[in-house]
Amino acid sequence: MIQFDQVTKRYPGSDEALKNVSFSIDAGEWVFVTGHSGAGKSTLLKLTAAIERPTSGTVLIANQNISKLKSSAIPFMRRRFGVIFQDHKLLYDRNCFENVILPLRINGVAGAEAAKRVRAALDKVGLLHKEKAMPITLSGGEQQRLAIARAVVSRPSILIADEPTGNLDASYAADIMGIFQAFNQVGVTVVMATHDALGLSASQSRVLHLNHGQLSQSESPLS
Amino acid sequence: MTNWMNHHVQALKLVLGRMHDNFLSTFMICLVVGVATSLPGLFYVGVDNLSKLSGHMQDETEISLFLKVGVSQETVATIEVALSKNTEIKQHYFVNKDEAWKRFQDESANNGDINKVILQLNKNPLPDAFFIQAKSAEPEALEALKNSLQTLPGVEQALLNSEWAKRLSILLKLGTKIILVIAALLAITLLIIIGNTVRMQILTQKDEIEVSNLMGATSSFIRTPFLYAGMLYGLFGGLLAIAMMTGIMQAFNYSIAQISSLYSSDFSVALLNPKLFIGIISTATFIGWLGSYIAVSRSIASFKIN
Repeated sequence: MIQFDQVTKRYPGSDEALKNVSFSIDAGEWVFVTGHSGAGKSTLLKLTAAIERPTSGTVLIANQNISKLKSSAIPFMRRRFGVIFQDHKLLYDRNCFENVILPLRINGVAGAEAAKRVRAALDKVGLLHKEKAMPITLSGGEQQRLAIARAVVSRPSILIADEPTGNLDASYAADIMGIFQAFNQVGVTVVMATHDALGLSASQSRVLHLNHGQLSQSESPLS
Repeated sequence: MTNWMNHHVQALKLVLGRMHDNFLSTFMICLVVGVATSLPGLFYVGVDNLSKLSGHMQDETEISLFLKVGVSQETVATIEVALSKNTEIKQHYFVNKDEAWKRFQDESANNGDINKVILQLNKNPLPDAFFIQAKSAEPEALEALKNSLQTLPGVEQALLNSEWAKRLSILLKLGTKIILVIAALLAITLLIIIGNTVRMQILTQKDEIEVSNLMGATSSFIRTPFLYAGMLYGLFGGLLAIAMMTGIMQAFNYSIAQISSLYSSDFSVALLNPKLFIGIISTATFIGWLGSYIAVSRSIASFKIN
């Protein structure tokens, strides 16, 4: 499903964020990306979600080479993913319902069908009663859940989450992990960057450990 | 297809909603567009009506054909035949010198000075004459006709009493050029104003654009609402321009009617000019579209994947 081959990413005016990274992720897998801060976790996720292109090497998503994809084809590639950003990237000028409906609008889903799916997504993350609330009034954990609802509403086959439990206390974090597990159980591929140990307690998951942009531990299933 | 429709309906709804929420600022922008488009529009109406008026007057212009003194009856008959055969002439009539003299005396009967002069003259100084109305009102055509009539045998002088009409028509052509220049300058101004307004809106919606882009929104998805916004500014501005122009023309028409009645003419400025109105609205809408297209394309370019 996702294949990295000798992928290097260099940002202008800085060192290589990723060096010669190769791995592959199958459909339905749950993969953790770990490493110290600045190790290249976010860069790896951005490359995975077709938000950036590699400086060298190839990134294949569903057998399509991201580097060779035309700019006009990139948006359609991105729609395969549900991305939960480190900083949520919620829109604070509109309520929860309007936040979650945005990906559906992008996908051209409208009307009653869209409203139904928004409510289903909000229900899954336990925010159905906050549909009319503005995101700014939500707690940190609730905002994170809202971001998850927005990521899953268009039913993507791959969920990418950048430190979704980063700033949350343990009980909230466990809550969030539970939501991801529920999606993984119905066949959604989950790629999650994390630096805390909590997430790793989840069973049957692979870990990609990054150290200064290099993959030091490619395949290490925890048990 | 339904997708496409949805996309446009949603974009339009979104934009109209935003305009409703910021009614005052939207109205201000439309007012700017309206004033800027009504200016060349009003100039156009002025020049257009003046040229209609001048056409109206040129209809009444005549070519006077004064014959040589003492010309024979046969020559007059030959000229008469030549005039009847000329296809460029609408109508003509002959005034012989005695008739002209008598008419002149009658008309100046109340004017003491001229009457005195007439009485001092003991013979008729006037020549026989033809008065001709041409079919065309074009100054060039009239000029050509005058010159050809001048060459007829027995003709002393052909006079075209429309020199002033010619000058007016040249002035009107100049006026048309001035309108074009003003319109072009105002179009550039509008382009910048609307482009800048849309650019400000893009800035306030930067987050939304960025998030949409990350979620796989196409350029057209991001662009469409802004294009609609620009077009609506143009459209509403154009409608305002028409309302203002109608109001102003109405106000002028009253004075024009008064002046016209002094000259016993029923001339007035036509209030409804569908061609002009459609032209103004579509031009303003197009400028709005173009201005926002330029602004939004520049902004989208900054989101290019690297």
